Amino acid sequence: MSSVARDRVRELMGEVMTAQGRSLPADDGAELRTIGFRSLDFSELALRVEDELGDELNFDAPGLRRIATVGDVLDFIEQLQTA
Amino acid sequence: MSESVPPASVVLVSGGSRGLGLAIVTDLLAAGIKVAAFARTVTPELTALASKYPDHLYAGSVDINDSPAVQAFVKTVESTLGPVDGLVNNAAIGQDSLHVHTSPERLEDIIQTNLTAPLVLTRFVLRRMLAKGLKGRIVNVTSICAQRGYPGLVAYSATKGGMDAATRSLARELGGRVLANAVAPGFFASDMSAVLGQTQLDQIVRRTPTGHLTEPEDVVPVVRMLLLDNTNINGQVLVIDGAASI
Repeated sequence: MSSVARDRVRELMGEVMTAQGRSLPADDGAELRTIGFRSLDFSELALRVEDELGDELNFDAPGLRRIATVGDVLDFIEQLQTA
Repeated sequence: MSESVPPASVVLVSGGSRGLGLAIVTDLLAAGIKVAAFARTVTPELTALASKYPDHLYAGSVDINDSPAVQAFVKTVESTLGPVDGLVNNAAIGQDSLHVHTSPERLEDIIQTNLTAPLVLTRFVLRRMLAKGLKGRIVNVTSICAQRGYPGLVAYSATKGGMDAATRSLARELGGRVLANAVAPGFFASDMSAVLGQTQLDQIVRRTPTGHLTEPEDVVPVVRMLLLDNTNINGQVLVIDGAASI
């Protein structure tokens, strides 16, 4: 399976936030709670990555609950693509 | 006046090796009822019960999705303990994933295990019961998820809602010869409830007038009543959640 690079995932994450009138901070340590990136936003991001990937990224919820920062999101998407 | 349905004397419990299923098996044995329990894996706890109640408990390792194996198990139960006149549909698999991130294959598994398989088992047990001229009782273990919405449990909730609906139709269809009811527990502080995460569980506890999540001990007496007591309860779904959902 090909993969979507981390930088591209970050761009897509920024697009998700821009579509909602917000912006993605440059700092990977930014808290999702602070920037208003909710679980459904993560779903939207995952589906955008799927579109570029041409494959589904299905996963259980516990992994999602551990995500707290922008970096966590990027790490998690990376892990999903290599699973 | 039509005759009431007698208490069940031989009860088949699916998913009876752990959690609520094991608690139901334990309780019925203590009440002197003959019990047949099956699950994918027979746990040491169930094996210990079989040693303690060798004449009253028949346990086996059977996957509820393996219909021929389940039917063979029921026939063996009949020859070992006697005709089955009570059924507890308890076996189920959980879910912990948002619907959009749940694969179609996983959706099929959940529906197969939680809805199709218990309906097939119920059909088989009822056919045996009716062919022998028996009356009987069915208790379906469903969930509060069938009535209230929770994230990460879309397919699971759909199957439990399906079983609630089937319970009502069975009660109508069986004309009082078999009492069909369901119990709908709230969230357990156990593995099945891990799906919600601690934050959501804490929130449910705060909103529950009785102040605690559902325990198997809360549900067991209700199942026993539906199987053994002389009531006119039929086609009902009894919610056991400390009023968390009202």
